[in-house]
Amino acid sequence: MTVGMTVDLLRNSQLKFGAITFFAKQHKGDTCGSNGLPLTPNSIIIIGRAQFLKTINSPFLCEFLDVIRGKHERTIVVSQYCGTPLANLVEKHTFSHLQIKKIAYQILQGLSLLHSLKIVHRCLSNENILLQDNDNIKLFNYGLYYMTDNGALVPFPVLDVLYTAPEVYLNGPNSCYPDPKVDIWSSGICLAELALNKSLWSSLNLGQRIRKILSLLQVNSSIFEKIAREHNCYETYLNLPQDLKEIIELCLNIYPSKRPTCNELLSNSYFNDFKLENDERDRKPWRSFDIFTIKELYHWWQLTGGDVYQELKKQGLIRSSPPILSLPSLVLIEGSLLGQERNPATLYDPRIVQMPLDMLYQRFAHISLPAFYPLIHCKSEIISNADPPPYDATGLPLVIKEKDPEYQFHRIILFRRLLHGYPFTKDLIIEEAQKDIPPLLRGEIWAALLNVNSLYKMDYLRLDKYSHTTTDRQIEVDIPRCHQYNELLSSTEGHKKLKRILKAWVYKNAQYVYWQGLDSLTAPFLYLNFNDEAKAFACLSNFVPKFLHKFFLKDNAVIIEEYLWKFSQLIAFHDPELANHLHEINFYPQLFAIPWFLTLFSHVFPLYKILHLWDKLLLCDSSFPLHIGLSILTQLRDKLLTSGFNECILLFSDLPEVDIEKCVLSSMQTYTSTPKSITNREYENELFHQKNELDITGVKIEDLKKELCPRISPNDVIDFVRHRPEKALFIDIRNPTLFLRCSLKDSINIPFSSVSFSEKLLGNLGPHCNLVKSKGDKVVVVIGNSDTDLERFPKFLLQCNVSRVCVLHGGFNVLIPVTPTVLQSGMPT
Amino acid sequence: MANRTAQRPNGQTQGKICQFKLVLLGESAVGKSSLVLRFVKGQFHEYQESTIGAAFLTQTICLDDTTVKFEIWDTAGQERYHSLAPMYYRGAQAAIVVYDITNQDTFGRAKTWVKELQRQASPNIVIALAGNKQDLANKRVVEYEEAQSYADENGLLFMETSAKTAMNVNDIFLAIAKKLPKNEQNTGQAGNAQGRRLTEGDTGPKATGNCCK
Ligand SMILES: Nc1nc2c(ncn2[C@@H]2O[C@H](COP(=O)(O)OP(=O)(O)O)[C@@H](O)[C@H]2O)c(=O)[nH]1
Ligand SMILES: [Mg+2]
Repeated sequence: MTVGMTVDLLRNSQLKFGAITFFAKQHKGDTCGSNGLPLTPNSIIIIGRAQFLKTINSPFLCEFLDVIRGKHERTIVVSQYCGTPLANLVEKHTFSHLQIKKIAYQILQGLSLLHSLKIVHRCLSNENILLQDNDNIKLFNYGLYYMTDNGALVPFPVLDVLYTAPEVYLNGPNSCYPDPKVDIWSSGICLAELALNKSLWSSLNLGQRIRKILSLLQVNSSIFEKIAREHNCYETYLNLPQDLKEIIELCLNIYPSKRPTCNELLSNSYFNDFKLENDERDRKPWRSFDIFTIKELYHWWQLTGGDVYQELKKQGLIRSSPPILSLPSLVLIEGSLLGQERNPATLYDPRIVQMPLDMLYQRFAHISLPAFYPLIHCKSEIISNADPPPYDATGLPLVIKEKDPEYQFHRIILFRRLLHGYPFTKDLIIEEAQKDIPPLLRGEIWAALLNVNSLYKMDYLRLDKYSHTTTDRQIEVDIPRCHQYNELLSSTEGHKKLKRILKAWVYKNAQYVYWQGLDSLTAPFLYLNFNDEAKAFACLSNFVPKFLHKFFLKDNAVIIEEYLWKFSQLIAFHDPELANHLHEINFYPQLFAIPWFLTLFSHVFPLYKILHLWDKLLLCDSSFPLHIGLSILTQLRDKLLTSGFNECILLFSDLPEVDIEKCVLSSMQTYTSTPKSITNREYENELFHQKNELDITGVKIEDLKKELCPRISPNDVIDFVRHRPEKALFIDIRNPTLFLRCSLKDSINIPFSSVSFSEKLLGNLGPHCNLVKSKGDKVVVVIGNSDTDLERFPKFLLQCNVSRVCVLHGGFNVLIPVTPTVLQSGMPT
Repeated sequence: MANRTAQRPNGQTQGKICQFKLVLLGESAVGKSSLVLRFVKGQFHEYQESTIGAAFLTQTICLDDTTVKFEIWDTAGQERYHSLAPMYYRGAQAAIVVYDITNQDTFGRAKTWVKELQRQASPNIVIALAGNKQDLANKRVVEYEEAQSYADENGLLFMETSAKTAMNVNDIFLAIAKKLPKNEQNTGQAGNAQGRRLTEGDTGPKATGNCCK
């Protein structure tokens, strides 16, 4: 395997990209919208709108990659940019008639797709029709008019003077009606230039060009002929094939209504040659799988240090002027500024800056070809172990792994394959996700982990997202307060989408209601699936039953109460000292943890932290949030232990920096080391927690709230006895007679009645107290029966700071029928 | 005593230190959290996050020779969170009921809160009505006079405020502080156990009353 081959895969002539930059319109001064909130900056609105362009995929269109916001409403658009602009070839290269026909066909194909998506190019010109090595073309910069809301969000007209249809000038360049017919005119001019092999009116200045175009309105005969004559190309014109002339003539009709549409032109017999090819493509039922696409390449490029902003700066497109030059000339007393306008010439820069890829090629030069084709299924261990793992990053901190281009290369290549095979690869996806989740594919991976199925789009389509409901006001006031530091979520599109998803959810889940916080809970899904609202909705819809079953009932008091009580018990189980302190100062989870659990921390952490937290959460069950809560307390433990009520509660009103990676690690640690039934709840979803008679069921909330230590299920106890007896200490508190008659294997007897609970001294336990003192991290299972007090004894242990204390659910008698038996009789040996 | 009280301005060390529990109530998005943020930190966030459950903050002000420490519970506005509210207003000595002057419904909701407080909260609770978002007076729908006369009828303090411009924010808290009784054995004791639990705590066992010399 030679080194060269790898880079060849990456160094594809079409896998190149470039950027353009412009300024969005600046809002004047301190203006407010109708809701009293400041107006959304136009650059943010643009970012929101532009996301949709990322979904467009056609061989005749440059792929849209990114839009970035700079200072002062600067906007940078990154997109595929490859090949040679036709404008560079006109007059230097002779186009055969067949070649022109093909170009015309491909332009119209590209436009036809755009028009079907209600996108008007509006600045089509031979500058942004790019001829590829393989003789196909790609249209570039077709998204500008769309993303700027038909030019409304930018202070310059979106058009290319020479190619612009006359009606655009007649209507005034600021009229914002997106008429696809203007693109047909532009295509006509582009083709005329190719057919005549002449740059039109190239010696004229701007005003003269506009006058020329307007003069065409007076022409009564053929416009194309008139153009040809004006450029001394009448000879060439006469020699053109009749059908080509006709097509150009059709495009250059001065009446937009009489100009044909793309599809009308495409069905012209002139294009018959290509029809067959087209039909064949349409017949393919699926799209072929790409090992990677330009989107991944762009991502890796950024990881290797590629920086669009810096590149534009280097090449002189972004210049900073000294601050003194941007001072206003006049400031009125009520605060409005005058004389601060930007130089209009800098508002839109027509230049395109290509991004250099050498760094990426170098960095990836040594990656071997098989790395592009990872082995996924293999029955033979010899084969699967033959190659060492392509790149070992185990043990590196997550943030490093996410920024490591090579590691992300391998992860993305692998996950793309796995996702392509979903749902059949679900198990492998889970297995890999346990290591880590590559940020670029997080949205899709989460959807897979949440079992989103292929019908999600239909499901969403069917739901009413528009009818007025009583919840609307609440949703409307919450959305502008929900993760608004994020560009996508604060954009106008983001607000609309979030509102639709929430309304659809409320509509679909008639048993539930909108609780404040549901907005935050939805935000991560929308952020990750900004272009696939239905998927965001599907993720939310599958997420809630799994992790927040019944939390959004209109009357959810019991569910929340139970959850919070289990939280207290979990604290007691793992950290009795902290539990005792918090209890002493009356610092209850009710006062601070409701937003934690109701929104699974999405209301208390910024997005990037939520993503990492949920990466793990999605692989666990509904008890995991309790462990996250515990780990947050653990991180703040020292502060909490030395603080009183006010300091503690203040600490949580303004949650201090929580190290999320540490938090994830420690919650995983307690999650895996805690017997499952410790966090058992009455209100958990049976679909995900199936129970039998040896599990915990039927605990009433009133009873639960008397118990400071959690219960443990007979199943978990049996598991300890049979498989890990060294991990548990069983304390039988029944009277010695009963104990001698029959007891759990390896259990010790500390009769309830023999202990004095008056002082909190472990010594009161009698001869066995040393066993308890030196128990280490063993789980202490208290076993009693209906005659024993199952509250005071565990409480006593807790108050003596004994950790991992729990009580056998159902008492000793539940163990009797278990076969093979876990009991013994007589004196323990 | 909490270290916050130690940072008294003007080196004032003499005088009483009083501690009061104050609760903010009102419809969602009227600006309760914004008022607290302005009062406690002197800040305003356009995109203030919504409050779930409740948030707790403290602030100390000086009133002649008395230092008044407010322990503020800022509650969630959504009707559904209503069932939690008693936990916060029980035992409170003061309440600010907030509405948004640009939204009639929020004024109606404020009246409901006042009624509930009059029925359920400590009998001596000092209630202030705040017509917030005064900076948006050009979009006003609740007339000043209407709110004023309602406040008069019900014995409430009343001010129009703006968390955004800070107008009347300190003033309304100051007015409450003035109206609160500052004798040794005052109303603070009245709350039941559940309510008191929220005010106890770092004051330690000695601070059973709300005022101490
Ligand atoms: N114009 C204006 N907006 C305000 C004012 N107070 C709050 N807001 C805005 O109103 C929205 C809701 O405020 P918030 O404090 O979250 O209300 P809460 O739900 O009652 O706590 C936020 O977007 C605030 O920025 C004010 O005095 N003037
Ligand atoms: Mg609030």
